Amino acid sequence: MKKLLAAFLAVLMTASLTACGGGDAVDENGVKQFTAFYAVPGPEINSDNEVQAMIAERTGAKCKETWLTGQSASEAVGTLIAGGEYPDFIDGSDATQQLYDAGALIPIDEYWDDYPNIKNFWNEQQWDLVRRDDGHVYWIPQFNRVNEVATTTIPDEAFWIQTRVLKWAGYPKIETLDEFFDLIESYQAANPTMEDGTPNIPYTILCDDWRYFCLENPPEFLDGYPNDGSVIVDTDNMKIVDYNTTPTAKRYFAKLNEEFKKGIIDPESFTQTYDEYIAKLSTGRVLGMVDQYWNFGYTVTDALKQAGLDKQGCNYVPLGITIDKGIHNRWFTGGSIMNSANGLGITVSCKDIPGAMQFISDLLEPEVHTLRWWGVKDVDYMVDEDGLFYRTPEQRTNAAATNYKASHLCTYSYFPAYVGMDQDGINTARPEFQPGEFYDALGDDVKECFDAYGVQTHVQMIGLNEIPGPWFPMYSHSNNMTTATPGGVAWTRMGEIKHEYLPKVVLASDFESAWDEYLDVYATAKPEDFLGEMQAELDNRLALAAKYE
Amino acid sequence: MGNNASAKALRDPRHEKSFWQRAMEQKALVLWGVFFFIFGFIFYYVPLGGWVIGFQNYQPKNGLFGSEFVGFDKFVQLFSDVTFLRTLRNTLCMGVLNLAFCFVTAIAFAILLNEVKSNGGRKMVQTISYLPHFLSWIIVTGILHDMLSGGGIVNEILVNLHILDQPLNFFAYPQLFWGIVVFANVWKETGWNAIIYLAAITAIDPSLYEAAQIDGAGRWQRIMAVTLPGIRPIIMIQLLMNVGNVLNAGFEVQYLLGNGLVQSVSQTIDIYVLKWGISQGDYAIGTAAGIFKSVVSIILIVAANQIAKHSGEERLF
Repeated sequence: MKKLLAAFLAVLMTASLTACGGGDAVDENGVKQFTAFYAVPGPEINSDNEVQAMIAERTGAKCKETWLTGQSASEAVGTLIAGGEYPDFIDGSDATQQLYDAGALIPIDEYWDDYPNIKNFWNEQQWDLVRRDDGHVYWIPQFNRVNEVATTTIPDEAFWIQTRVLKWAGYPKIETLDEFFDLIESYQAANPTMEDGTPNIPYTILCDDWRYFCLENPPEFLDGYPNDGSVIVDTDNMKIVDYNTTPTAKRYFAKLNEEFKKGIIDPESFTQTYDEYIAKLSTGRVLGMVDQYWNFGYTVTDALKQAGLDKQGCNYVPLGITIDKGIHNRWFTGGSIMNSANGLGITVSCKDIPGAMQFISDLLEPEVHTLRWWGVKDVDYMVDEDGLFYRTPEQRTNAAATNYKASHLCTYSYFPAYVGMDQDGINTARPEFQPGEFYDALGDDVKECFDAYGVQTHVQMIGLNEIPGPWFPMYSHSNNMTTATPGGVAWTRMGEIKHEYLPKVVLASDFESAWDEYLDVYATAKPEDFLGEMQAELDNRLALAAKYE
Repeated sequence: MGNNASAKALRDPRHEKSFWQRAMEQKALVLWGVFFFIFGFIFYYVPLGGWVIGFQNYQPKNGLFGSEFVGFDKFVQLFSDVTFLRTLRNTLCMGVLNLAFCFVTAIAFAILLNEVKSNGGRKMVQTISYLPHFLSWIIVTGILHDMLSGGGIVNEILVNLHILDQPLNFFAYPQLFWGIVVFANVWKETGWNAIIYLAAITAIDPSLYEAAQIDGAGRWQRIMAVTLPGIRPIIMIQLLMNVGNVLNAGFEVQYLLGNGLVQSVSQTIDIYVLKWGISQGDYAIGTAAGIFKSVVSIILIVAANQIAKHSGEERLF
């Protein structure tokens, strides 16, 4: 008996060891099993997910996706590299360059001739930005590939404010930083609490790890520049400008300092974690903040809706704030903005590269694409006589429910996908872009606010800008810097210093001396090394683009 | 006295057995010994080969054998980096503080617990007190973050007692950070660390206590004259072993509780290795920092042992 048990255990152990041996397995139904890791936090779906199974029926493959938990992207990727074993697919996020440097990725362009869906996903000029110094493409930037701009896209970064504040003030026109904080101050003085007596938090700032852009990058927008991310590109003379030390930056931080002293800024701003921040926004207590919509919007809007807080006017709308009147704001840039810094790559650990390429390609086929983003016909969406998709209120609620998403929907969101209009030219690629659908899904408070301003969408609140030039966005270069170059060292040190000194500047009792101290310490990071490398990259991109003119 | 007799018997040439005979008699033990020797070799000594990375300009693509050898360059780079020197200071300070406080509280707690006469009460207190040891740091730091937050219980109490006018954001002050870390360590580990001292106390001959009592010693005097000297060897051994751990001041607790405002006092060598070694792909500098840490630990433990030896105390080797 004992021997039998021992033999059984031994078999079990070998079985589990082989199971750990990595992907490219084929399950009993002949479906290929791929694995993927994305160095960003994300929701894991159930292993018996229904749409995933339907996609597997059509493509003959499925992919088990895992996400970042608790680490930063570069920590997770650095650990994978040190181990030398990878999943089949990977998106290294900020650490993608490290994957390339470690030789972890396969050159996709050597395989893509048989897969037009992949090869034509971006045009030649755009692919050139993705090519590394050896001339090969190692990852597919998967976001923002716009077929045709849908009017309903939600902007990214902005000063967001709750509709109840605007409503209380009679929907005024808010253009400058001073007006923004004046409005919040006077609202807070008149209404210090929510309807149930919970005190409001007038303004909070997220400062957790890489998400501290909510604190540090508004100076570039306040001056009317678009989101190049790490630097300003002065289009008059095509020179790189550092937004960390501009007069506008000083005025912005002085304003925050002043508001902190008045008790307008959440004292927990610089110590809260991302989760605490999202929880705080979900209670509807926070009147305003700077953030990227994707960083809070999807989670918080659903939470506010479920708690019925949209009826109190707790939903957020964007404002295109600048430092002075008369500056054209460029908070939102529309169109196919490709972030060449990262994307979906196939690793050297993948044993079936053609299979993996086929899977990426199949996921872009119209039928599968609709399954991914809309779900199942008559279950997740309805089709009217004109072929237009729409959802019933129940279907909309389902699509926002965490459990339903995990058990039923499968978007493969980090695989390449289209946004804007769908390939059929009638519908939009995703429900949230469908005009009717978009408007119906808005909270009543947002509809009322939009009506008051005479707009129909978030974008119209702050305006749409064209891509400024072929270099855009410069952050796709700085995101991939490592300490291997002096510029990368400077970039890392600048980040560390800003993480520590910018909060200090806001909290300081004497702003002027704190600002001077910040400037002194900031100079020790040698920002000129970083700016020099950014200038070289800008020149390089301009030269590349000149070839296509 | 029985021990002495058998020791004599062993030394008696008539009973002397050959090495092989003795080895055969204890073949189970020898087998286990061999097993652990192999285990130790594979898991403790083979990985040390990786130290060579610290002397290379290591690129994962080129591997251990293809990377360029740069000698002590990475160490020079390390010690000319202010950030590293600061993490070194933080690690040492938090390590020493942790050692001092955890050590004293554990001994004090063990003695106090020993003085509790009710058996049931003592068992209960002991069980409750060592439970936090089994919580992971992510949970402990989560609890701390909640308790010390603006609306947390600590601020609530302080404000309601009018000690503070408005909630204090504990994590925004660099001067409070080490205190919070030490408190977290003490809370989590005191009960667990006390177990070994409790065991040592129960091994003290009860007749010593009786004799002290007859001589008129009170409770305090019995603690000072019987309990403490009784567990002195254990205290010394524990101290020596912990001295070697001073540079392991922690990673999770500082990593999870830290933020931008306090980073100049919160980051330890381990966090430095993660940030500049693994995150930036400069594995060489991470390894160099690791080597440095090991060397310092070895020096500390040998030095402490020598001091113990010279003052005639219990020691490790």
